[in-house]
Amino acid sequence: MLGLIQYPARLLRATKRQTAALALPDRRDLETIGLHLLLVGSVLLIVFPILVAAIVSTKQTGIVTSLADLVPGGHVVENYRTVLVDYQFGRFMWNSFLMATVIVIGKLALSIFAATAIVYYDLPYKDLLFLFILFTLLLPVPVRFIPLFQLVADMGWTNSMLAITVPYLASATTVFILRQHFLSIPSSIVETAKLDGVGPLKFMAFVLLPMSKGILVGVSVIMFVFAWNQYLWPLVIINAEADQVAQVGLALLEGDVVGGEVSWSLVMAGSMLTLLPPLLLLILFRKPLLRAFVIQQK
Amino acid sequence: MSSREIYTDRRTAGLLLLPTILVSLVFLYYPAARAARRALYSSQLGLDDEFVGFENFAELLTSGGYRSRLLLTVGFAAVVVAGVMAVALLLTFLVHEVGTGKSIYLVAAIWPYALPPAVAALVFIFLVHPTLGVLSGPLATLGVDLDWFADGRQAFVVVTVAAIWKQIGYNVIFMIASMNNIPETLTETARLDGVGRLRRLLWVYVPIMTPTLFFLVILNTIYAFFGTFAFIDIMTGGGPSGATNILIFDLYQEAFDFFNWGLASAKSVVLFAVVGVLMYVQFRLTDKYSHYGA
Repeated sequence: MLGLIQYPARLLRATKRQTAALALPDRRDLETIGLHLLLVGSVLLIVFPILVAAIVSTKQTGIVTSLADLVPGGHVVENYRTVLVDYQFGRFMWNSFLMATVIVIGKLALSIFAATAIVYYDLPYKDLLFLFILFTLLLPVPVRFIPLFQLVADMGWTNSMLAITVPYLASATTVFILRQHFLSIPSSIVETAKLDGVGPLKFMAFVLLPMSKGILVGVSVIMFVFAWNQYLWPLVIINAEADQVAQVGLALLEGDVVGGEVSWSLVMAGSMLTLLPPLLLLILFRKPLLRAFVIQQK
Repeated sequence: MSSREIYTDRRTAGLLLLPTILVSLVFLYYPAARAARRALYSSQLGLDDEFVGFENFAELLTSGGYRSRLLLTVGFAAVVVAGVMAVALLLTFLVHEVGTGKSIYLVAAIWPYALPPAVAALVFIFLVHPTLGVLSGPLATLGVDLDWFADGRQAFVVVTVAAIWKQIGYNVIFMIASMNNIPETLTETARLDGVGRLRRLLWVYVPIMTPTLFFLVILNTIYAFFGTFAFIDIMTGGGPSGATNILIFDLYQEAFDFFNWGLASAKSVVLFAVVGVLMYVQFRLTDKYSHYGA
């Protein structure tokens, strides 16, 4: 009965599709071309500011008053060398890199431990514990940086790598993502490990980690980008210029341009340098990154 | 007991959890508690604390300046959230619809996720600098006289556009995942019924994507409230005459320019309440719409 009712509908659909294909091939092609044009246009619009920055970073003075002036100049090596060496950007970038790397490794280790305990241990008050970790989502740096500043200053950590890494090491987001992922690993595998008498450390190293490679890469990129782009906290806790990170270093460079000591081409060179590491990671690891984000939302 | 809970040794479990709990307690919970306590004291840097109860909060509530900054921040957040989501939705849809070159277009659409706010701010200053900007000339021929170092309304617009630009990539990342999850049969049916692309986006896709869109509204609001500090600090310093002085920048100034730690702590408690309410709303909405199965 059902088949009889559905049959004409299916037939109708097929004829419709045929007529559409026969009558409107040109329209479809036009639409596709239009789609590409729209996409190229919007993508160009989004990339335009960075293209300008890239071009300006190669010019001598960086004064570009009309679109016609937007042609690369010949001062690439000179500009980038000046920024990296004379304006300490090499130093700032290194500090940022160190900070981001320590945060990624530390967060990853701490979060793997915590997520393992939460998923694979029979514990009392487990939900409460998980809630305790999740609740820290309510406490981003901006709502606590004043007391945090006092605390970290009291500990004597001002201007140290400890100050810009340790407070970041507990990560509700990462524990959450890893927990979700661990829960998706078939319990049969877990039970096999138990039957084989595998200890917790071996279980993490030889069962969990190999099964989580993609997700670990994904969350690492998220953490690196997050750490690299931190601005407010380094701004308040680091006041020795040599210990500063690239983000705040950029603001210092801008101060110099307002003071007339630097040209805009140098500021744009610094901007390009600061953009490069997170951008490269995003392009290289976009697939695991996207997968990690999908889990985060659940 | 679930079959995954294969270990029972509580000491090992405690050791595994200890680092996360310790860092959370010392650097997250303790400072937050300290801010809550400090908010009840009239404390300036170097001076003795004096308990004043809710005086700091009363001062904030009755201060016309603080109220107008609160309104400004809400307005700023509304424009940023609406702007970024409209742009990202259209962009995501274009990427979703295109056949060839999809992955290249996708990267070109999500890359601003990696963009540091400080870089976005500086590039934008240069782009629309009133005298040196690349776009100032072309905009002048269109009749827009750029003067945002002095004109508050223009400064607000420039900061908003820069903040939206930086957040596009993050939104596309979530929207494309959600859009790719929409069953092909729905798209096919809409197409056969002669539903145009734009109407398919608005009347078929958007309703299905509701959970993701709600999630993004909350995340974008938090971004507008807190993640935009670098834009304000680098581009306008809260000015001209307070036109871009959103709460997070106001808080920073209270603490590190005026050293009113008590009042500043009260302000961070207010911001904490904002995050709390937003998270709660997100939690409830996720609960409510989870049956859609995002």
